[in-house]
Amino acid sequence: MENFEPEIVAFCCHYCAYTAADMAGSKHIYYPANVKIIRVPCTGKVDTIHIMKAFEKGADGVYVAGCLEGDCHFKNGNTRAKYRVEQVQNILKDLGWEIERLEMINMSAGMGERFASTALEFTKKIKQLGPSPIKIINTEKHQQVAD
Amino acid sequence: MQKLKDIQQNKSNNKSVLVIGGGVGGIRAALDLAESSRNVILIDKSYSIGGLMTQLDRTFPTNNCDLCTVSPHLSENTRQIHLDIQPMTQLEQLTGEAGNFMATLVTEPRYIDMDKCTACGECYKQFPEAVRFTPGLDPRAPTCMRYPQATPYAFSIDMEKVIDIKALQKVCKAGAIIPHDTQKKTTVEAASVVLSAGAQLFDPTVLDNFGSGQFDNVVTGLEYERIMSASGPFQGDLVRVSDKKRPKKVAWIQCVGSRGINKADVPYCSGVCCMYALKEAMVTKERFAESIEATIFYMDMRTYGKDYELYFNQAKNDYNVRMIRSRPHSIIENNKTKDLSITYAIEEGLQKTEEFDMVVLSTGFRVPETTIELANRLGIELNTHNFTKTDHFNSVQTSRPGVYVCGVIESPKDIPETMVQASAAASMAASDFPIAKDVSLAENEFMPERDVSMEALRIGVFICDCGLEIGGVVDVDKMVEFAGTRPDVVVSHAVGYGCSSESMIMIEASIKENKLNRVVIGGCSPRTHETKFQDLLRRAGLNKYLVEIVNLRDQNTWPHIGQPKEALDKAFKLLHIGINGVRKSRSLMDYTLPMSPNALVVGGGVTGMTAALQLANQGIKVYLVERDSSLGGLAKSIRKTIEGDDVGSFMTQLVNDVSAHEKIQVLTRTIIVDHSGMPGRFKTGIQSGPRMNYMQLNHGVTIFATGALPNRPDVYGLGTHDNIVTQLELDAVIEDDPDKIKSLNQVVMIQCVGSREPDNPNCSRVCCQAAIKNALRIKTINPDAQIFILYRDIRTYGFQEDYYREARNIGVVFTRFSLENRPEVKVENDQVSVFVDDIILGSKIQIETDCLALSTGMIADDETTEDLSMMFHLPRTMDNYFLEDHVKLRPVDMSVRGIFIAGTTHSPKTIRESITQAYAAAGRAQTLLGKKEINLGAAVAKVDGSKCAACLVCVRACPYSIPFINEDGYSQIDPAKCHGCGICAADCPAKAIQLLVYEDDQILAKLDYLFGGLN
Repeated sequence: MENFEPEIVAFCCHYCAYTAADMAGSKHIYYPANVKIIRVPCTGKVDTIHIMKAFEKGADGVYVAGCLEGDCHFKNGNTRAKYRVEQVQNILKDLGWEIERLEMINMSAGMGERFASTALEFTKKIKQLGPSPIKIINTEKHQQVAD
Repeated sequence: MQKLKDIQQNKSNNKSVLVIGGGVGGIRAALDLAESSRNVILIDKSYSIGGLMTQLDRTFPTNNCDLCTVSPHLSENTRQIHLDIQPMTQLEQLTGEAGNFMATLVTEPRYIDMDKCTACGECYKQFPEAVRFTPGLDPRAPTCMRYPQATPYAFSIDMEKVIDIKALQKVCKAGAIIPHDTQKKTTVEAASVVLSAGAQLFDPTVLDNFGSGQFDNVVTGLEYERIMSASGPFQGDLVRVSDKKRPKKVAWIQCVGSRGINKADVPYCSGVCCMYALKEAMVTKERFAESIEATIFYMDMRTYGKDYELYFNQAKNDYNVRMIRSRPHSIIENNKTKDLSITYAIEEGLQKTEEFDMVVLSTGFRVPETTIELANRLGIELNTHNFTKTDHFNSVQTSRPGVYVCGVIESPKDIPETMVQASAAASMAASDFPIAKDVSLAENEFMPERDVSMEALRIGVFICDCGLEIGGVVDVDKMVEFAGTRPDVVVSHAVGYGCSSESMIMIEASIKENKLNRVVIGGCSPRTHETKFQDLLRRAGLNKYLVEIVNLRDQNTWPHIGQPKEALDKAFKLLHIGINGVRKSRSLMDYTLPMSPNALVVGGGVTGMTAALQLANQGIKVYLVERDSSLGGLAKSIRKTIEGDDVGSFMTQLVNDVSAHEKIQVLTRTIIVDHSGMPGRFKTGIQSGPRMNYMQLNHGVTIFATGALPNRPDVYGLGTHDNIVTQLELDAVIEDDPDKIKSLNQVVMIQCVGSREPDNPNCSRVCCQAAIKNALRIKTINPDAQIFILYRDIRTYGFQEDYYREARNIGVVFTRFSLENRPEVKVENDQVSVFVDDIILGSKIQIETDCLALSTGMIADDETTEDLSMMFHLPRTMDNYFLEDHVKLRPVDMSVRGIFIAGTTHSPKTIRESITQAYAAAGRAQTLLGKKEINLGAAVAKVDGSKCAACLVCVRACPYSIPFINEDGYSQIDPAKCHGCGICAADCPAKAIQLLVYEDDQILAKLDYLFGGLN
């Protein structure tokens, strides 16, 4: 697992987190390339199926990044997203997964540093957790087929 | 054919408005004008626009970076058609008259071709000494203003410092450097001028007692903002300048250079410093450490704005900001520790000294010499403080017809008031030439859209190298090759700088030639460049929603500049996501609806009448609804303003003008009974006249100017004795019965009666100036009368301070009391006496008075605002005033598009301020009414009725209460009202709702190919 490079999906809202990611870029602040961003108008738009699909397709970690609490461009989309993340964490728990593979993060549009530092922390955490159970199953399947 | 004629006529008729100054006020005025289809030239002497607000860390009262909320509006398409921004440009001369000015403009050389510059920053990196980069807001890249990096195109070259021009030119891969650029002089025709040149902040280094400029840890308020700011000198860490350590005790000193009589002082109040000091103190505790002790030294706490008193209470009670009422004498620095000791006297007369780690000087506004010269060139008069002299009943009208003013150059003010004045000035400026109905020039230039729904996918991928910005980190050729191998990709090209004119032409030709029906651009952020490429698609005959921008620069090569291998891998994946996302994109229609050209103005007071008249003068049909039997409102009972103007004759004239105007239908004794429709097409039911006849009005916009009520609390014996009156009643006595005034011996006025009290915590704003106004008038009639004003804080903001000083000079006695120790009023043997603890004397004094005037202020008209807020779905404040959409930046717009508020229905204010807001609301309304139709965008939620189970989840989830269950039994979402967040789509358990532009199959397609497809 030494060389494990996790795949991470970040659902970022257009008004804050996506802008913060651009800010991090324009200031050339490093964060791991493992993080791939999907832009959504508001984190309230992020659906359970989107998160589960990301895991199904091989994401080792997923986070939803929205505006600071109380600062949502659409009033309360980010608090709804927080609730949804908790729901999906429960699903993950029921599946026997580590709930830490999914997280809700808040930041304002100007927080390039925060975007980078949270991306870094999250990636580190997922590295420690190792590949997602789906990947392990798939690898085993492949091995069985090979056997 | 008719349309073409319209355009030609439009072009010849449409002169420009010249807006001078690109701060928030100038930007607001320019955008308002552009939105109402007026051509605007916005000039600023600086290298980029943005003004003072770009320097601020956060703004009160929300403590947010509020600009992030509205800056996306700057990228709206309308501005591109009507707005011409010219930085580094100054006005040299203005000749002619209103409607027909000729303005001579001088533009300094930038030495950079703005059309070629991609803002890669390479020149700045290599020649930092010769290339200027000004933090500011570039309107073409509407991003967060607080970050210099977020304001591309703001580069300019200081040619005097360039040593090797060839080397500099070489650095620029875009070839944008023009070594022989020269100063340019142009003459433009302008119908009117809006001056928004702002002011400077006072430089306290000229004072010898506070050590500014000598002591490291003494900073100004603005410097403190920069220290706290993430783009500031310490990357957003609050540390002392001397030792880079976090301060434990910070003090603020108010009124530095303001409200003074010393050499370097100005006498007026700068109006904003109390609020910004409170903000800085609270943000310090909130963001850095609760344990940092914050102390504010002040004379009067002037939190007179809407809900500002609550902000002050929050600072005191929730954040434990220490408030000391004192004007400190001096600051002494400890040579070793660099700590600072402040010497100050408290009210009781004791002298104290206390140590602090850091001291912030709250400095106010000054008019710089350059602005005085500009005013001279414009030929407008200034007042005694060198601010612009304006009409007493129209704060944006200067002494020269056709020249209007907004923002701090008129008088010290905060951002919301600047925004109000900006919209008012824009409205006035627009009235100098006839309204031009929107003829969308851009739309006409586009060829008809091709229907691609039945075509097989033909995807074109175009990848920028952006000089070295992308190409220097990842191999563009490899990406092009990779993209070319993906199914349905028929074209894959490297395009250099994709956003340059050359490349745009190439891409357009390629789309046509290869019959492409989907386009992927690999380049920079869609936040900044999506609109540009969407327009390109429209030119090429494709729907604008068939393009996907892959963010290869800002979110890949920039942050991963040191990891080229990882960056290339990520670039492949991002491209893959983009290509697969664009497959699922479909042609979408922006929603548009025809506008109703009429306006409804509710409330026939001074505000409502002013707004109605302003709109009617633009040819707009106005329904003016008043519940009373006659027009006039509360202003009818006010006789004089503090400036001495006769309110009565002004009101008579206004009522006559409104009543006689053919475009205004006055409906008195009228109430509103129902309301429906959508922004631009409202329907409001009214009952009118003695028989309460029902009628339905169709209107595109609504302005609420329903006012507030004079407060009349049952305190201090009000109503029990003829000699106890309200300030408003006294106003009438002074005018009507001078003999009575001549007979007065001792007059007592009590301030904050029924305001700033637990049951009505806000400040009524107008009472301090009203009391001083009446005191001065009494003194004029009866110089021997003794007048006592019992107050808590005197809030004579701005130039009202002049009258406060005058009152003190002529012997009006000001005695302070506290909330815990209010004065007492006793009536014995027909004699009214007031007892008050004099804090300075330290004892109770008794004043026998023959006139006790109570400053009772205003309260919201709860019943009216409640009824209207229910009918029109409008939010209200805690104390029942209407709550605007954004307290900082959209002070007259309500959250429902097309609804505006003005006057005291917004918050207590003076007649003059109400009138300004009335013009502002009229101006904002014109931005909508100037259009034939409203574009609602395409990102709206759409319900599939066959899947909907009418479970009400969407009804509850929508933050704007838009979905409802229709007659057919399924959820319906009005595209005209949908804000496009997609919350309902995510919540819908049956997946019956899709948010267009971000449909599930598009998002899932992106995820599908994120990792799997590659391996």
